[in-house]
Amino acid sequence: MITKTRNIPDGKSELKKLSVIPYVDANYVYYPVTSARCPEGETCVVSGQFVKVGEVIGTRKGAFFEQPMHATVSGEVKGYEKHIDQSGKIVDCLIVENDKKYTLHESAVERTETEIDSLTREDFIEITKEAGLVGLGGSAFPTYIKLSTKDPIKVVLGNGVECEPFLISDHYAMLFKSEELIKGLIYAMKASGAEKGVIAIKKKYKEIYEALMLKLQEFPDYDIKIAKVGNHYPQGWEIETVESALGIKIPQGELLSKYGVLNFNVSTLVSIYNAVKKRLPVLKRYVSVSGNGIQNTVFRVRIGTLMSELVQLAGGYRDEKIPKVLILGGPMMGTSVLRDDIVMTHTTTNLIVMNDEVTKEEPCIHCASCVYSCPVSIQPVQIMNAYKNKDKETVGILEVNKCIECGLCSYVCPSKIHLTEYMRLGKRLIK
Amino acid sequence: MKVIKQTSPYIRKETSTKRMMIDVLIALMPVVLFSIYRFGFDAIIRILVSLVVMIGVEAFAFGLMNKPSKKGTKFEKFKSRYKDYTINNVTAPAVSAIVFSMIVPSTLPIYAIIIGAVVGIGIVKMFFGGLGSNIFNPAAAGRIFIGIALAGMFVYQGIDLAAGATPLSSSLGFSELIGRYPLKDLFFGNIPGSMGEINALAILIGAAYLLIRKAADFRVMLAALGAFAIPMIFAGLALHPDHLIEYVLYHVLSGGLLFGVVFMITDPVTSPVTRPGRWMFGILIGSVVVLIRLFGAYPEGMAFAILLGNIFVPMFDYPKYATNKYSWKSILGMVIAVLLVSVIVFFGLGGSL
Repeated sequence: MITKTRNIPDGKSELKKLSVIPYVDANYVYYPVTSARCPEGETCVVSGQFVKVGEVIGTRKGAFFEQPMHATVSGEVKGYEKHIDQSGKIVDCLIVENDKKYTLHESAVERTETEIDSLTREDFIEITKEAGLVGLGGSAFPTYIKLSTKDPIKVVLGNGVECEPFLISDHYAMLFKSEELIKGLIYAMKASGAEKGVIAIKKKYKEIYEALMLKLQEFPDYDIKIAKVGNHYPQGWEIETVESALGIKIPQGELLSKYGVLNFNVSTLVSIYNAVKKRLPVLKRYVSVSGNGIQNTVFRVRIGTLMSELVQLAGGYRDEKIPKVLILGGPMMGTSVLRDDIVMTHTTTNLIVMNDEVTKEEPCIHCASCVYSCPVSIQPVQIMNAYKNKDKETVGILEVNKCIECGLCSYVCPSKIHLTEYMRLGKRLIK
Repeated sequence: MKVIKQTSPYIRKETSTKRMMIDVLIALMPVVLFSIYRFGFDAIIRILVSLVVMIGVEAFAFGLMNKPSKKGTKFEKFKSRYKDYTINNVTAPAVSAIVFSMIVPSTLPIYAIIIGAVVGIGIVKMFFGGLGSNIFNPAAAGRIFIGIALAGMFVYQGIDLAAGATPLSSSLGFSELIGRYPLKDLFFGNIPGSMGEINALAILIGAAYLLIRKAADFRVMLAALGAFAIPMIFAGLALHPDHLIEYVLYHVLSGGLLFGVVFMITDPVTSPVTRPGRWMFGILIGSVVVLIRLFGAYPEGMAFAILLGNIFVPMFDYPKYATNKYSWKSILGMVIAVLLVSVIVFFGLGGSL
């Protein structure tokens, strides 16, 4: 249809009705030694060694930072196995056999309120670095780097929009961990020197708005607001969230901190609370399995659990004869993986199992729905045509690098042309 | 269980090219029904002939354009040419066919229809690569071809000798003209003219349906209407200041303007792909229609304007400056263009301040 499309059926109402099934007692848990951001890594434990919850078991090394790995159970190290991680790559994983006693490591001592009050900005950065905190919205960008910005920060934004369909992890985190969320936001404000805190949620999430407002009454000393933003996609893209929630327009490609804004996912804020207060890394997350190839289920899962166990708990796949597409992340931007022995890392929030549907591409009829819907105002159809002609210059002029790969152009195309893939090819062409 | 690798996004909107084409066909129904009511069997036979010819030529050319597989019997080889043949290869030429049959007079000989349809689909659409690749509107191009090559055959039914062929080509003065063809008759189609162009009401119903279903872009429609009506107001000021409203309405309702604006220039294949581009495209077409109406003598003014607009589409889409954002510059440029045409019209018709 020749129109701008912003609303996509999000399929969350069914997931919201479910009760959360705790599955925190997997017999074996796995820790990938490397990740998408950290191509190298090493462990500092040996087979047979006993580790405790919160103990450092290794380090992942990225281009400009190092990240500690933590055990999320107590038990014996069993060796290594190959599994796939969030990005779909096969990686070496350290195995720990769960003794189900969850003995805390000696370092995991709760801080008192007075201790927390005396923490300086450098202390906060050190704490988040040691806890290995990363952006839990999916970027896995190290939190301490965000916090150690030199720019003056005026406002910390908690992004709870979660605009992708079928994702529900942040929704449950906001509902059940509202106190931790608000305290985490306060710690982030302290750490960055911001005076204002804003939590952005979708307009239609009335239950979350009420839950957060109720909790906020316990913290009258802080300037924290709830911003109700639009229900559309991609509202959760930080530039759009900042614009809707704070009214600050940030040009694409610039750092948010330049404009005095720090943007964290709400689950990241909860993890900041745990790191500061309890000296613990991220231990558990809400994880959903959904889609038309499996029974919708929401779990509370310990980091390191294998996704295939969750699939079994959810009752296995439906109609095994139909080929399936397995997606980590949302159906608009997620990664398609070929196996289901996925190791839960910090950023794993869901598995979508969809029956494979063959969509046949038809000729483009220039309806321009993709151009109208593009959130960054580029012209996908023109880029596709230029790419097909291998016209590097025109692909560059059309600013293909602005593309955030949100997937809307493919989504709206009436001829079912996979424009997003052409955008990726175009980016590769002019690299 | 088999797991398939795909790339994001994994979901698609419930929409299709097929639905868009069928929406246009539905929107054309009031016009078609009126033409059958008004011209009876003459209309039915012309619609059917152009449908059969256009769909047939497209299917034939489609088969020639696709290479057969090397294996199999003769029939299997033939069939393999059509393995990518979809419903769109029927609905798209059907839209062109109905539009084409609606812009010819009911007395046009059948073989003229056949020639126009073959040129429209065969040369203008399939030679350029078929669905989505044509740069000219097939119906308009077919109409122009027969309009020039077979000009003598265009005889309109219900001619009034004193009034000339159609209300537009009459040599009468305006006050006599409006007496002979009152606005009410123009609105309800009680005038001589091409089969589908005469009933404004039926066209407006179709337009409403297209806009509700979002199968057409309102921007092109509004731009073309505006760029037509505003200079016409100036023309009215210069020629008949005391009948201004009647004069403008008369011109909007007569001729092929409304039909072209609703069903022909909204064809997405031959439109630019950006929002400002579509406004400019509409303005260009509206202005050219004004100029042909007032200073030229072609009854196919609308079709000429559409083809001229189609030529400019690559310019509106030129990557170096085409953008989907409105800028003050582009809006100002469009306003100036409309005003410029208005001024030319005003002084060209001998108006004085």
